[in-house]
Amino acid sequence: MRNSFFIILVIALLICSLGVLSIYSSTYQKEGLLWQTIFQRQILWIIFGLLLFSIVSNMSYRRFWDWTYFLYIAALFFLFLVFILGTTRLGAQRWLRLGWFNFQPSELAKLAMAIFLARYFSRKSSDDIDLSCSKFGIFSALILPFFFTALPLSLIIEQPDLGSGVILMLLFISMLYLTRVRLRYILVLLAGIILPLPFVWHFLRDYQKDRLLVFLNPNIDPLGAGYTVIQSKIAIGSGAFFGKGWLSGTQSQLHFLPESHTDFIFATFCEEWGFLGGAALLFLYFLLIRQGFLIAQRTQDSFGKLLAFGITLMLSIQVAVNVAMNLGLAPVVGIPLPLMSYGGSSIFITFIALGILVNIDKTRAVF
Amino acid sequence: MRIRLVTWLVTGIFLLLVFGLLNLEVIHGRAYRELGNKNCIRLVAQDGSRGRITDREGNIIADSRLSYDLMLLPQDAVQQEKIILNASRILHKSEKDLRDTFRKNYISSSVPVTIARNISIKEAIALDELKVDLPAIIVQANPIRRYPQGRLASHVLGYVGEIDRWRLTKLEDYGYKTKDIVGFGGVEEKYDYYLRQEEGGISFEVDHRGKFIRTLGFQPPANGKDIQLTLNIKIQKIAEEYLAGRRGCVVIMDPYTGEVLAMASSPGFNPAAFAEKNNSAISGLFNNPHSPLMNRAISAAYPPGSIFKLVVASAALETKKINPGTSFFCRGSTPVGRREFKCWSTHGSQNLLAAITHSCDVFFYKTGLLTGPQAIHDYALKFGLARTTSFELPYEVPGFIPSALWRKINKFKNWFDGDTANLSIGQGDVLITPLQAARMTAIFANGGYLVTPYVVKSIDGREVAAYQKKPEKLNLKKGTVERIREGLVNVVNDPTGTASVLSGLAVSVAGKTGTAQAPPGQSHGWFTGFFPLQKPQYVICVFLERGAAGYVACVVTKQIIQEMLNQNLINSIPGLE
Repeated sequence: MRNSFFIILVIALLICSLGVLSIYSSTYQKEGLLWQTIFQRQILWIIFGLLLFSIVSNMSYRRFWDWTYFLYIAALFFLFLVFILGTTRLGAQRWLRLGWFNFQPSELAKLAMAIFLARYFSRKSSDDIDLSCSKFGIFSALILPFFFTALPLSLIIEQPDLGSGVILMLLFISMLYLTRVRLRYILVLLAGIILPLPFVWHFLRDYQKDRLLVFLNPNIDPLGAGYTVIQSKIAIGSGAFFGKGWLSGTQSQLHFLPESHTDFIFATFCEEWGFLGGAALLFLYFLLIRQGFLIAQRTQDSFGKLLAFGITLMLSIQVAVNVAMNLGLAPVVGIPLPLMSYGGSSIFITFIALGILVNIDKTRAVF
Repeated sequence: MRIRLVTWLVTGIFLLLVFGLLNLEVIHGRAYRELGNKNCIRLVAQDGSRGRITDREGNIIADSRLSYDLMLLPQDAVQQEKIILNASRILHKSEKDLRDTFRKNYISSSVPVTIARNISIKEAIALDELKVDLPAIIVQANPIRRYPQGRLASHVLGYVGEIDRWRLTKLEDYGYKTKDIVGFGGVEEKYDYYLRQEEGGISFEVDHRGKFIRTLGFQPPANGKDIQLTLNIKIQKIAEEYLAGRRGCVVIMDPYTGEVLAMASSPGFNPAAFAEKNNSAISGLFNNPHSPLMNRAISAAYPPGSIFKLVVASAALETKKINPGTSFFCRGSTPVGRREFKCWSTHGSQNLLAAITHSCDVFFYKTGLLTGPQAIHDYALKFGLARTTSFELPYEVPGFIPSALWRKINKFKNWFDGDTANLSIGQGDVLITPLQAARMTAIFANGGYLVTPYVVKSIDGREVAAYQKKPEKLNLKKGTVERIREGLVNVVNDPTGTASVLSGLAVSVAGKTGTAQAPPGQSHGWFTGFFPLQKPQYVICVFLERGAAGYVACVVTKQIIQEMLNQNLINSIPGLE
């Protein structure tokens, strides 16, 4: 099926170009050569991303079955490396300098985790055509995969990057739900997460506590932690129905909105394109995610099926959390909007993930 | 099963997000757009200057000067502290005072706050230089009223101040806003609409640090229109000078046109106190028992005493109850009803001329009784009493002339001959304003015309005299005016006349004195007259509240006329010869 290749490519490119427009708009007035060229760099990342997309989509996804442990260990390794060599930006140690490219290992960890979980839950026993996970006891169904998830998760949270951590956790829960693991195990897991939450509070960083409190009421600290939420809501709200027009958004261009080209690019976009633009963008994401679910549903191979679900879920969770955070419906956590936000790592990983998705659709007939 | 649930869940979440977007952008879009504008748009208002007020020769009585206000943008707390610290050093004011002013004037974090007013230009420059380090500092130049002549003509001008609630509710539809500076009393209030400046201002865009990005719009402020008064500041100055210390007022008017050349009222006030918001001086003015803010020439009515005899004499002659030859005998008193009504002296046989000259009460008791209260009342109204003169300034009172009907309706009492006798000498319930007295006197100076007094000559260079009411011919008999005028001449020129003190002047004066009893307390003193006799150029009315007697008013009049002669003012007005 070449069909899904083109659909996904066109949607992804549309979203990317809207992203470039917004990045240009939010940075062209800033001083300094670095800011002036930032949209060009984003275009470069997209070109590289497309390259990766075409390579991965022509490479059997089955190879990822073989590379699962390698990828998982590589992700862990990079996460460790961040602690030793990582650059600190905005109070968090999330990036690795690889020459001229700042690499964010938590992005890789998300994809690696999706592949790892897909492989783990699609194991078959030798004597049965059914997947073995339906017969798993609590140890194999819950504790073991949770342990493997918790390893990168704890490293990510330690960076600290609560956003990626939450996404990883949500990914784990939703993938667990999509396998045939008994429902009661999932309930045990949920209980195990929710009950100790009050104690987790003490382990959160101060700024993370602030953000959670501010999420409940942004006005408790309008110039501090609540500032971003308030400015983001103002930016989106002031766009009204038709928006202020490209290059005319005052919130992003006059720097009232922080991180206007990365995490809060949705607000930048909505200020200039209004409700029409914002709804259209959400619709594009929805189409992309729907493609992912369709591919997953028509795939027979259980690894491919679960991997397609994992990738789609990873994308949907990121989009939903980021947009909700922009709208002030979720606490502020530092995660990018896939394909829109400026950032090489996110673009690369997203394009690779989309490539895998296309390849699953292309090769499913083989099995 | 689980798969379907997850896809539905994802679809649901997307719908939720779209609704969230809808809620923010469409339902609350306008509110957020305003918040966004508030973030980045700043307005700095710039006032034009209020119109100038000049006298008839163009001498400025009130104009505007620049006053510098220190303001700050309350966005950065650290900067704010530094500014207050520096300002207290430069302005020699305590930090606490500045902080209190700041707190009092604070509106919101995006509106500049005034922390000190009326700072000198040197201080303004010194503070403006700090702007390099402290961009939140704003030194704004505001035009405020200046009075080059000091307190001169303050009652005619009125004063300026912040609009009050009552005026605001009335004037809101005409574009007035809270904290607008408007006129109170006098020309400032009456012609506020013309004098008023138009507010202009500049709106500009700032970034998140409050740094200027670009200008969005600029509306140049427009100055108010200038008003030229009919006052002559030289005469006004003389009038105020010789009134000094006494309570009372002086009105000097052109008898033919009604142009008011001087209108002085004492005690006066300094309008600059209001312009500069000098609160202790202002509350002192409001609490003064002698009402220095009241314009005694128009806003208070007093018993006229003997000057009312002009009305009685006219009424009697016009209704032919007496003729110029009619004479009565004054024994010092006369019985009216069961009471003896006294004269202030014993005059013997008096005809009209002599009675006016000596201000004989007995003659007028008898004349009044012959004429009847209704005729006197009617002629008083004809002479412009008991109603406002249509003068332009606000808060003019009409005065009062009693009548039998009024007494019956309001007091349930009958009118007796004693009341007629009292009315005949301007006592009882009669009340007139000094401006009305001057207007009444003008009838005998100009040969029988009732003029409408006015004080504004032109607005913005356009003569407005043409819009004033023309002098109204009263259709008095020629003889009536001439007989009474002769009497007025004799009051001054006859050695036994009540105003003979005025006879020594180089200009011949005619007029009538009045001593109005107003118990408890001393009598009011009046003199109302005109000069030069041959071709009257000025009508003058001097009124002294509790000023003992008409004689004192005559002395003040003499001083004023003498000074006007000294300054060569009496023949110097062009267009009359």
